[in-house]
Amino acid sequence: MAVYENLYRAYEGESHTAWSRFLVIPRYAVRDVFKSKLFTTIFILCFIYPLIAAILVYLHHNTNALALLQINVRELLPIDNTFFRTFIQVQGGFAFILAVLVAPPLISRDLSNNALPLYLCRPLSRTEYVLGKMAAVAFLLSLVTWVPGLLIFAFQASLSGIGWLLANLWMVWAIFLGSMVWIILLSLIALAVSALVKWRVVASGAMLGLFFVPSAFGEIVNELFLTRSGHLISLWETMNSIWLGLFGLFERQTGRITGKVTTPIYDNEFVDIVLLEPPLWASWLVIALVCAVCIWLLARKVRAYEVIK
Amino acid sequence: MIVFEGVSKFYGEVLGVNRVNLQIAPGITSLVGPNGSGKTTLMNLMTGLLKPTRGRIRVLGISPNDPEALFQKLGYCSQFDSFPRGATAREFIEFYLRVHGYTRAETAELAHQALERVSLTEAADRKVSAFSKGMRQRVRLAQSIAHNPSVLVLDEPLNGLDPMARAEIIRLFRQLADAGMYLIISSHILHEVDMMSDSVVLLHNGYVVAEGEVHGVRDEIDEHPIQILIRCDRPQALAARLFEHEHTVEARIHDDRQGLFVKTRRPDDFYLLLNKVITELNLQVESVGPVDDDLNAVYQYLITSDGGQTR
Repeated sequence: MAVYENLYRAYEGESHTAWSRFLVIPRYAVRDVFKSKLFTTIFILCFIYPLIAAILVYLHHNTNALALLQINVRELLPIDNTFFRTFIQVQGGFAFILAVLVAPPLISRDLSNNALPLYLCRPLSRTEYVLGKMAAVAFLLSLVTWVPGLLIFAFQASLSGIGWLLANLWMVWAIFLGSMVWIILLSLIALAVSALVKWRVVASGAMLGLFFVPSAFGEIVNELFLTRSGHLISLWETMNSIWLGLFGLFERQTGRITGKVTTPIYDNEFVDIVLLEPPLWASWLVIALVCAVCIWLLARKVRAYEVIK
Repeated sequence: MIVFEGVSKFYGEVLGVNRVNLQIAPGITSLVGPNGSGKTTLMNLMTGLLKPTRGRIRVLGISPNDPEALFQKLGYCSQFDSFPRGATAREFIEFYLRVHGYTRAETAELAHQALERVSLTEAADRKVSAFSKGMRQRVRLAQSIAHNPSVLVLDEPLNGLDPMARAEIIRLFRQLADAGMYLIISSHILHEVDMMSDSVVLLHNGYVVAEGEVHGVRDEIDEHPIQILIRCDRPQALAARLFEHEHTVEARIHDDRQGLFVKTRRPDDFYLLLNKVITELNLQVESVGPVDDDLNAVYQYLITSDGGQTR
């Protein structure tokens, strides 16, 4: 064997940031998305509703401003659980738009560049890689959902006093959990689509399709069978039920049909049907199942090498 | 040492590599074989990107199952252009160093050193998309050596490079190997591997068919006749004399009638004989040298000859 003068010295020190190593991925990803003017514009637009909500809270506590604007305080939306549920619902819609814009290229770009072996040839696991990508989406969506939600809650609490805060403290959990469930669901679906589809436009289209096509199909089922069970296949409706549940607004009975009806199923028949929303546990189960499928897909697709059989 | 002990990898029922026993020393070791021979599988096993179905692998005493320790010592250079859109050479290298866990200051320093080592400091802040193939290869190489590993795994590093770029990259490999690094290179460009490797591992259908120094491997195949070309003024006369001796298996006159191809199973004895014959016939000899003492001949012999299979 040849004799070598070993001049090459490998780094033998400790890694400084082992636990937080995966956070490098979202840091770079977030920096990249703000290079897009379209994204930055839409991101700014996402704060219009929180601004309106903050003004509303302010007006509730400023009689001078109300007098100046000639508005009676009773004409304003009350600052209660319905107010915050609506806030999360509206911001959830914006979060969906951001997810459609940001997430599709996150994994697909690495897959089409064959960059996964480079990531995984570091002390970085596949789980950490996915967590890193997910953190990029979660960070951006958090900024438009629970972060402004809690800030407005804190603003309201600071103006209303300790009594209101203690009586409504449970809503902190509802705002945070309601937002996080939606963020996790959106991130996982978007990343799974990103891992399956290499083209950004197709991935964005697939994501829109996943949310809107089942919703439309669910409505058709509801109309045909005079039921509300079709909501279970609509991610929007499922999530809405969870939000209603978290804010203490969920009601199973949402309608009643009495009389003669004509549908492809019912031929001018007399019916007396109570329209019941699916139970809350079923909505949670649907969300859990969708998340599990996404995780399974990510586990299959996010590999250093694809084995083609 | 990099050690493979009875390593097998199956993709379901499909064989990746089978019963591989190897000990790889410092220097340049080339894994050579046609597509599907198991080169990439062997590299992926070494880097922990794949888990072996059977057997044990140790890279400088570290198991590939311990990525925290392994990737401080090991660098990987992909065969693909895995550059993010719009990234500069420095950004590309720094990103992966950050993923590795280095601080911002360490990252800047290590990236600069790596760029310096591959002579890319001047182009460091230009977009990689504007680089030539050779420069891109150097960026990939810089990325893989930036954290100062002791083992460097390079997947088809010479693919698609022009001769100038190849020579440049090979020179870089040589420098790294001379500094005591382990360079594991996969290739199917046999003559280049032959030129730069300290040792070779020949793979075919997932099996190691030969390993060792290029010439050492050649020596082992004593049953395989070596072909020698003698460029001289009277090849016919030379052929007639050489056929009188048992060392000569076959002789064929070169198309330009200024040379003779001779096949022999005992090259050492043949060279002694040739000296004697040249003196006796008073031939004007321009050159004498083996035609196929390169990896290609060894490789072709090993994978196509039944006798050569060492499974």
